[in-house]
Amino acid sequence: MKKPLIIGSSILLILLIPPIRVYMESIMIIHMLVQLPLLIIAGWFLGDYMISKIPKVFILSNDNGVPGIILFVAITMFWMLPRTLDEALTFPMYELFKFVSLPISGILLVDSWGKINDLGRIFIYLNYLSMFALMGWLYLDSPIQICNNYLVDQQKVLGWGFIFITAIMVLYVVQYVFTDQSELEET
Amino acid sequence: MNKKQHNFLILCLSIIISFLLFYVGTNGFQAFTAESARVYRLLEEKPSFPDVTLEDSMNRVYPFTEFKGKYVFLTFIYTSCTDVCPQLEMNLAEVYQQVPKELLGEEIVFLSISFDPERDDPATLEKYQFFFNSDGETWRMARITDENELTALLDEFGVIVIPDGYGGYSHNSAFYFVGRDGELLEVMDYKKIDEAAVKVVNTLQNDMEG
Repeated sequence: MKKPLIIGSSILLILLIPPIRVYMESIMIIHMLVQLPLLIIAGWFLGDYMISKIPKVFILSNDNGVPGIILFVAITMFWMLPRTLDEALTFPMYELFKFVSLPISGILLVDSWGKINDLGRIFIYLNYLSMFALMGWLYLDSPIQICNNYLVDQQKVLGWGFIFITAIMVLYVVQYVFTDQSELEET
Repeated sequence: MNKKQHNFLILCLSIIISFLLFYVGTNGFQAFTAESARVYRLLEEKPSFPDVTLEDSMNRVYPFTEFKGKYVFLTFIYTSCTDVCPQLEMNLAEVYQQVPKELLGEEIVFLSISFDPERDDPATLEKYQFFFNSDGETWRMARITDENELTALLDEFGVIVIPDGYGGYSHNSAFYFVGRDGELLEVMDYKKIDEAAVKVVNTLQNDMEG
């Protein structure tokens, strides 16, 4: 099964093409809400392939999925700090770290997500829901320019982007809760 | 080693790595924005002011080393700026007023450097001076005409200037306090006027006593 490998590495390679990379990073919302998630998705596919190839490594290092998910949360939260986005544009080392750490977080996620229990999943989901809402509020409400490389206008757009994602996540929860209940009532 | 212990060890390891990531990435939980990180780095590195050639509002052209032996308190501006620069300069004026008159020009020089040399010619700078009661001597306004020198200076001090799409620029602002040999002593919050003034006056007085 080489399909995930091909998908994952092609996403990564496309993101690495200099004009695409520079363009994506020139717009704050695309940088944070398209480029970063795509890097994680690329990692997800690569991880899928790696698990089938070297399952032993994953069993040894991430048996119950908890260490993996902790690192995943840490890496993604790290890249949500206003500073890191900015520094990636200024310092090549940061940029390199971004292209390494985020695919790794994707690999960890695909491995851990299958291993952690429902409670863990709900916890992670709600954690991100509140985090996105907070980020949206931060970027919308900030009267000052948080990033040196992006203007306040772009900051506001990103803020709305986060609010939009939060809204979708809330809607998902609501629809999930209600459909589940109706099914229970029927049986 | 049994499985439980093994898993526990790896769990601890993952927590430590996460902690380190944030610790290193924020200079020990101090700098969460690139701006605070920039100030932090400047204070660590204490770069010396590059030798740029200034052209001031009185049409005088001289190198930055002209100020050798004096402290320099400076800001980066451009005169067609409508938001932060007037505020920055108003605050600079307040610091200026708090420094004892006899020290001005002798021990310390105030300097506003424009990074928009195309529009900010000496005549424009002279007009701008008027708004802030800058005398052009103890508080000078100057541009750097050489493109390379200007870029080098902005790079060295981490001043990021981006066009805002409406004919203006957006940039990070601060007070810069430069020592007698052109070394950067301090980067200060331009909104904390009194704090900056106290620091400047104390430094000057300590220096003259010692």
